[in-house]
Amino acid sequence: MNHKTSPIEIRERLAIAEKSVPHHLSEICALDGITEAVVLSTCNRVEIYGSSDNPQEALDRLVDYLIDHFAVAPGEVEFYRHESEAAAHHLFEVASGLDSMVLGETEIFGQVKKAYATAQETGTTARRMNKLFQQSFTVGKLVRTSTRIQQGSTSVGSAAVDLAEKIFGQLDGCRVMIIGAGEMSRTTAQSLLSRGAKSIIVSNRSFDKAEELAAELKGSAVRFDDWESCLDEVDIIVSSTSAPHAVVKHEMISRVMERRRGHSLFLIDIAVPRDIEDEVNDIDNVYLYNIDQLQQIASEGKTRREKQIAVCREVIDEFLRGKGIEALAGLPQSGGGSGSERIQPEPSSRPLTNP
Amino acid sequence: MDDIYLILATLTFLGGFILAAASLRSESPRVKGLNIPVAVAGLIFQSLFLQGRGELHGRCPITNGAEVLVFVSWSIVIMYLALGKAFRLSLLGVFSMPMVFLFQLVAIIYLHFFDPGPRPPETLDPWLELHAAMSLLAYGAYGLAGVAGVMYFVQDRQLKSHHPGRLFYSMPPIRYLADALVRLLAIGTLLLTVGIVAAFFMKEAPDASHIISGAVWLAYVSLLVVHAIKRMPPKRLSISSITAFAFALLTLSAL
Repeated sequence: MNHKTSPIEIRERLAIAEKSVPHHLSEICALDGITEAVVLSTCNRVEIYGSSDNPQEALDRLVDYLIDHFAVAPGEVEFYRHESEAAAHHLFEVASGLDSMVLGETEIFGQVKKAYATAQETGTTARRMNKLFQQSFTVGKLVRTSTRIQQGSTSVGSAAVDLAEKIFGQLDGCRVMIIGAGEMSRTTAQSLLSRGAKSIIVSNRSFDKAEELAAELKGSAVRFDDWESCLDEVDIIVSSTSAPHAVVKHEMISRVMERRRGHSLFLIDIAVPRDIEDEVNDIDNVYLYNIDQLQQIASEGKTRREKQIAVCREVIDEFLRGKGIEALAGLPQSGGGSGSERIQPEPSSRPLTNP
Repeated sequence: MDDIYLILATLTFLGGFILAAASLRSESPRVKGLNIPVAVAGLIFQSLFLQGRGELHGRCPITNGAEVLVFVSWSIVIMYLALGKAFRLSLLGVFSMPMVFLFQLVAIIYLHFFDPGPRPPETLDPWLELHAAMSLLAYGAYGLAGVAGVMYFVQDRQLKSHHPGRLFYSMPPIRYLADALVRLLAIGTLLLTVGIVAAFFMKEAPDASHIISGAVWLAYVSLLVVHAIKRMPPKRLSISSITAFAFALLTLSAL
């Protein structure tokens, strides 16, 4: 099951903690008819990949196993089950980020790799799972390099970071200043830090709050009356105060740019009403984006990625057509089923037990 | 036969540009990483053409405007292949291709109608050859700097407009473009300096072409000095590098 079929309340109940994955893998492989298994448990999905000569029975046993171990009430969870080529196709889509909440995200690729590595260490993979997962890594890479599924931003934070990278390149040496210690500023600053931004300066009307956020982001705090004196030192400014008027003015930035000797300045205004005068964007080498513009970019990015789904599926289909025999060599044939279906656990008379 | 190589080189760059443009516009950019192979193929054809012309004249093949244009185009491609990767600017090749195509198209037309034929030297002067070759290599670096300037302009415009298009995501960061621009201007000036120094050792007395080289050198040195002292904003430096290259081309046409 995943974020499309189950709400978070269900997902968090079925989530398998990293340290208990080997234990579950051993238990699953001990089930009758299941010879190999890989468990992929992330915040958005719990998937069990297994190998069996009798897939229908094996899938029934797996569902029973989940019901038994995770206190799932009858009809509460919508499980999906895929066999043979459909299972391979699903794994390839997962590894490519097509089944992710943020379309095309790359974290899932690492999570699939880790799930496979854990299963390998536990000794629950053999020829079929090895081949299938190795092929999923090839497809994951192929989809990302031969399509535009990763192109464009999908959130305000990622749009800000992507723009910063298009201005400065790698953000390693970039210094960031936050004016107004709000939640959006924190998120945006964290995104910038995660991509390598060097240091953060936080300024807020309440100095305590500035210090608190600065400590969280491992930066430094400056008093609100002094933030202007730091303008020369920073490359990116994130502003989100609750001031009813412009805080960062054209004249102020013009003066700063004269001293910056050709270095660009990126201003992100996520406040409503806006903190930074619009005319600031007219200054050479200064790039100003407000919340609407960032949201617009994120929305366009999402649409662009959605359009790429068909292209990505074509890449996967092409791979399966070309390497299908190799990918599925040794995998059992579907026992006459459609290959994919969604099921809900039958109301059962069996008592539900906690893990 | 030489003309065939020039036509093939020109068609290679045109085809490379069309492929790259189509790939940038396409939903499925399957045609990737072709810039380098296209540039290498084009360079081979250019080299074969220049080699043929060199054998025809018995000296460096820069005896007429068409050959000079092909030599400058060859220099641009060499510079791109040598520096594009180091500057993390693979797209520089795509943006250079239309200019190279245009230069070579003019050369093809010129040679078709006005080819003056072999012009062997009275005496072979290695200093003159060095002066000419270094000067035209410098023009290649300046040409590429002009292309980097155009790319900076395009990316700056997209960033300022708040509506980045598909090209935006394929373009390099503007800081890399600004850095590459300065480095290319410096490399060009270094090469031209070597060319000008070589001119002092020539047997012949300096002629108009040497004075023109000196004027171009002075223009670029002034640009770099002003930038070093005042740190010109990248946009102004881009405009200056495009203008300076246009001036350099004009001086070539005067030869």
